Amino acid sequence: MDNFIGKRTRSKEGPRHVTGRGLYTDDFRLPGMLHAMILRSPHAHARIVSVDPGEALKNPNVVAVVTPQDIKQTTKPFKPGRYAAGLKRSIDEYAGATEKVRYVGEPFGAVAARDRGTAEDALEQIQVEYEPLRPVVDVREAMKPSSAVLFDELGTNLAWNGSLSYGDVEGAFKSADRVVKENLKIHRYSSTPLEPFIVIASYDAASKRLTVWVTAQVPEVIYDGLREALGLQDIRVIIPDVGGGFGQKIHLIRKYVVLVSLLSMKSGRPVKWVEDRSEHMMAGGHACAQEFEAEMAVKNDGTVIGLRFKEYDDVGGSISTLTIHFTNKLNNLSNTYRVRNIALEGFAVVTNKCPVIPNRGIGKPGMCYVWERMMDRVAQELNLTPIEVRRKNLIQPDEMPYATPSGNVYDSGDYPGLLQGLLEKIEYDKLREEQRREREKGRLIGIGVVIAVEPGGRNAARDMAIFPEMKEPPGSGGVNGAKIKLEKNGTLSLHLGSPNCGQAHETTTAQVAADLLGTTPDKISTSIPFDSDLSPWGVAAANSGNNFHLYDIGAIHGAATRLREKVLKLAAHNLQVDPSELTIEDGVVKVPGSATKQITFAELGRIAYNNQHLIPDDLEAGLEATYYYTFPHAKPNLVPGAERLVRAQFTFSAGAHAAIVEVDKNTGAVHVLRYLIVGDNGTVINPDVVNGQVFGSAAHGIAVALGEGFIYSPEGQPLTVTYLDYGKCSAAETPRVEVMHRPSPSPWTALGQKAAGEGAAIPSPAALASAVEDALTPFGVKVCDLPLTPEAVWRLANHNPESERRSY
Amino acid sequence: MKQTIRVTINGRLYEEDVEPRQLLAHFLRDAIGLTGTHVGCVVGECGACSILLDGKVVKSCLHLAVQADGREVTTIEGLAKDGELSPIQEAFVKNYALQCGYCTPGMIMTSHALLRDNPNPSEEEIRKALAGNLCMCTGYVQIVEAVKEAARGSKNG
Repeated sequence: MDNFIGKRTRSKEGPRHVTGRGLYTDDFRLPGMLHAMILRSPHAHARIVSVDPGEALKNPNVVAVVTPQDIKQTTKPFKPGRYAAGLKRSIDEYAGATEKVRYVGEPFGAVAARDRGTAEDALEQIQVEYEPLRPVVDVREAMKPSSAVLFDELGTNLAWNGSLSYGDVEGAFKSADRVVKENLKIHRYSSTPLEPFIVIASYDAASKRLTVWVTAQVPEVIYDGLREALGLQDIRVIIPDVGGGFGQKIHLIRKYVVLVSLLSMKSGRPVKWVEDRSEHMMAGGHACAQEFEAEMAVKNDGTVIGLRFKEYDDVGGSISTLTIHFTNKLNNLSNTYRVRNIALEGFAVVTNKCPVIPNRGIGKPGMCYVWERMMDRVAQELNLTPIEVRRKNLIQPDEMPYATPSGNVYDSGDYPGLLQGLLEKIEYDKLREEQRREREKGRLIGIGVVIAVEPGGRNAARDMAIFPEMKEPPGSGGVNGAKIKLEKNGTLSLHLGSPNCGQAHETTTAQVAADLLGTTPDKISTSIPFDSDLSPWGVAAANSGNNFHLYDIGAIHGAATRLREKVLKLAAHNLQVDPSELTIEDGVVKVPGSATKQITFAELGRIAYNNQHLIPDDLEAGLEATYYYTFPHAKPNLVPGAERLVRAQFTFSAGAHAAIVEVDKNTGAVHVLRYLIVGDNGTVINPDVVNGQVFGSAAHGIAVALGEGFIYSPEGQPLTVTYLDYGKCSAAETPRVEVMHRPSPSPWTALGQKAAGEGAAIPSPAALASAVEDALTPFGVKVCDLPLTPEAVWRLANHNPESERRSY
Repeated sequence: MKQTIRVTINGRLYEEDVEPRQLLAHFLRDAIGLTGTHVGCVVGECGACSILLDGKVVKSCLHLAVQADGREVTTIEGLAKDGELSPIQEAFVKNYALQCGYCTPGMIMTSHALLRDNPNPSEEEIRKALAGNLCMCTGYVQIVEAVKEAARGSKNG
């Protein structure tokens, strides 16, 4: 049966992409289509006094304008979603600002014209009067009573503060031999998908039907957002090829879908909007800057008995994603360690910066950063090696499945094995020797070794653990559908609930379906685009690598299994045998060893749709199956109770990472000499696909650590609005990441598969920090803050850690 | 005031009226319908719109359509012949040198030109040649492998 699962098969997506035949939203043109531009704030913080589009509308080629008044009068605010959970007082958030703008680039209107150039010109002719307000840029300043306030309704910029605790944290700190403390910081960054936001909206006024084509990751967010904001019932969401997602295209994009839809409703014409790069960099959403005050309670032998930390999140100028980076801390709260006493307190602070969004890992890189930086600190303070300290605290393979203090249940994993495999592969002891020798010659070589879990699956009920005032869970677990159909000619077509944005959905699902149905991937086509009229719903998969494995693969597995039963039943009836006597090979159902008792998929297809006489009375005609998957092992702790125990995610991949770097003292440049990962992604369905996810996520985490990031001026002006300013890494700067697999298959998923997607982006920032700090050992400095730009590293190496801090 | 240009694209001559301010990338996509040339930044940083202009790799967002008048353009659609992938295209498919596919056409055009000029590039030369083409998905490992494999293939062939 495993003819294709686990094998390198030919990419299903590859041929169309290498010939330029992928179809992205921007590739569609509708008759009479107009082109939109978005009206955005040039101020970090200002009151909108008036907006007058009169001059722009004088141009006959300008067809429609949307103003803040239109937004307020013709749309409704989005319902506060789970990302806004925790907000004490509800604050209306519309698709655009209506009275105040709270970050540079915040949308508050739009214009549609017959061509893009005219729309750009028209934007400049809209007269806007602002009353600039004092910008709020620094998190600590924002919390002071003297600060200007973003949301008058709240009266403070500290939009949420809360805490939770597991085990006996007080007791652990009292009985500790030592308490190790450190303040740590991760900056603002993003995965900046190469394809920016793109929307086409077409409203048919006569039938009150709205169709949108959009490069979005989660159809449900778009569908719900349009329904909430525009009050429409008849909505069709089509998602063609998506040019990269990484979380960027889940949430914030719904605003633009609403604004472009409004233009279509106003003009009676289809309208396309293509975001430009600088718009995306200033307003497309950033990962949250997070500051931590961490404390670890330890025994002298290196045993960690408690962790507590405060987290200050710089969430930007929106309340709609207020707490996502904090709530996600529950997903990898224990990382790979059997520490039973953990407490955390969160401060969500609004500032006049771009809103934060769920970017690759969402807060999990921060959690891992806390664990792995602190493990190094413990080693330093106790004069132990960083490897010893980690080994001492790792969850052991014979403890699996392992229940963490917050209620996660780790399905499988061999963390000591991953660490050991990594050390052997890099020849750790030899490497340390070499490092000593090179240091004597003046070379600053550093070695950083870290370990991390990569959780997969989703459970929105997690948030109830953090916000006990919630009465109902905002959903729980995940549900995801798949449809599979045997065509009349014997080929198969699949419809997935989640669109593909680069994780090889088509290739991987075809491998699974081919094995289950006894055919070959080349006889299987997966339907692209996603179309809410035709596709099953994919609420869970969110088009992400850390959900696809569980929900889409689970759904395809279920649908294919169901279809196989139907195929066997129909074949058995026609061959006059019992279904149990049959096997399927290469699209032929047969009795093994018999030359005559066989029937092809094509023959069955013709019967199923065409020939009632040959269909058994107790079998539904047609050969199609739909399956909606939920994770069957989601209990206990699916919904938290009084103890606030909850399964934040359901499968736990893991990886041990080693970064070997060289620091140039004179320039502060960090060169990654080698980057190696020993990973556990469970059963690997396609090694090339999984490796690609690991390479990509590692490369991004490394680039984040070494300097890519968003910078604001003290006035709240974004200074990084191009790839060049932002510091995106090309092939020339990106190290060659090496990956080895040491899988511990999940006992609870259909094939033993676990997540691969966010993966290496979670521990890689910590690995780099560890390696750079190790390289700088001769100077006795600590690495606490990211990014490690050449400037920051130079200051550390040259005994000048008190650098002028820019606002990241 | 529109201007008439004559430009040969993937071996076929086109005569079109264009706005002087229209970018070559938008001309190829909107006027000719060759949507394989992608646009990721419009300021020459990402390389998704890389094409060959008189055989040289250029970023078509940094050229105006009128600058292509009288010249020859090759886009990603011009590489495969009769459904048969060119060696570099085949190597990209085989090595999973793409994920979302958005950077892929530009990557392939640049790689194609590199291998034409330097059939046996080192890894460093490959990485330098591709430095003008950004990819957010792959971490570049499989892309570099694909270029190496295409180079080996052309040597063997």
